[in-house]
Amino acid sequence: MNPFLVAVAVARKDLLSEWRTREMVPALAQFIVLALLIGNFGFQIDSRNAPSIAPGILWLTLVFAGLVAFGRTFGAEREQASLEAMLMTPASPVAIFAGKALAASALLVACEAVLLPALSLFFGTPFSGAIVFVVLLATVGMAALGCIFSAIVARVRARELLLPLLTLPLWIPFIVAGGQAVQSAMGLPGSYDQAIGLLIDFDILFVVLTSLAARFVLDE
Amino acid sequence: MKVNRYEKAAAGAVALMLVAFAAIFFYAPTDWLQGAVQRIFYLHVSSAIAAYGCFTVVLLGGLVFLRNESYAADRWARAGALVGVIFTTVTLVMGSLWAKKVWGQFWVWDARLTSTLVLWIIYAGYLLVRRLAEPGRQAARIGALVGIFGFVDVPVVHFSVTWWVTQHPGPVIVNDALPPEMLATFLFTMFCTIVFAAVLVVIRYRIETLRDAKQVLVEPAKVVSARQPEPVP
Repeated sequence: MNPFLVAVAVARKDLLSEWRTREMVPALAQFIVLALLIGNFGFQIDSRNAPSIAPGILWLTLVFAGLVAFGRTFGAEREQASLEAMLMTPASPVAIFAGKALAASALLVACEAVLLPALSLFFGTPFSGAIVFVVLLATVGMAALGCIFSAIVARVRARELLLPLLTLPLWIPFIVAGGQAVQSAMGLPGSYDQAIGLLIDFDILFVVLTSLAARFVLDE
Repeated sequence: MKVNRYEKAAAGAVALMLVAFAAIFFYAPTDWLQGAVQRIFYLHVSSAIAAYGCFTVVLLGGLVFLRNESYAADRWARAGALVGVIFTTVTLVMGSLWAKKVWGQFWVWDARLTSTLVLWIIYAGYLLVRRLAEPGRQAARIGALVGIFGFVDVPVVHFSVTWWVTQHPGPVIVNDALPPEMLATFLFTMFCTIVFAAVLVVIRYRIETLRDAKQVLVEPAKVVSARQPEPVP
């Protein structure tokens, strides 16, 4: 079986099931707007301090929306024991994992499509291609890590507790580099190109590591 | 009273650490700029290096477990993680005390401190996972993967002072920045700390072995007693 076709088929299945139920994206969009609201009241944001505070709110919101999104990636499969069925097919576990990761990143991109314009609308920060590029780059590595840990904790007690504990520390490199890039794209000092280079390095490292590990996580 | 080899090893390791403390306080010269507080350096850096060593044990144990399902390797990994977290805690606490004296505050968010804190969180998370996951093959697999992913942070911590501009000082050993007495004290403390950590790992490995043996003995009996007889139709 062609692993690329398998990955696309799994991703298509996940996105189709999201399209039919329309549960996650509206809930996450509402979550994002609420997070921005809390950020506004927590920091008393005005046009002067917005560029220094908005990047922090962006990453905080994205990280917690991501945790919700990835926590659900293997949730439905676990409830209906459909992952076992998928693993019984000749499809390779890595391809199945890649498909799940693709679908989860698509959901996260949908959240970002709400988050970035809303951030710009509420806080008056610039909305530029440079910022979109940073966030998309970070999404790649964050999705790979989020998905693998979601699969790891799927069969453990207290999985809601463990997913953030395991995932957040490993997302920190993305937040460090991404935070620096978004800050410099919003006009604060810091090298944009260096941060982008770091993000690409982390993306490559974690995508390779997760692809190698996927076999051991799913192959039960 | 019969003293077993673990107790002998522990006594030897503690004695070595006491000699190292004597060297730190009575042999090493006082730093002319920072004064007595600089003596934190010896144990602070040594315990960081011991922690790296422990996390390497976790990494290797995880890799060996994934390769040939050796539960002994998994026990080494568990032992390494616990001891590594303890030594990272020592590094962080001693570093904070030193920072309060020379920087004026316990904590600054520079790359070295942040990445070390992340390292602590990752392996504390490893210990939590091991506690929450059902013991056995699955827990060992999950632990192996967390240990392998977590190890990515070790080189980040180590090279953070080279890759980023940090308030934390850069390497002093390779840059030949220490007078000979200080260097000798440091190398001796490092040796003692590594021996101490190794002894702790070995003792913990023994505890994990006994625990695993107990579980194997207890579990089948529990399953048998819990099983209800099949109703005859």
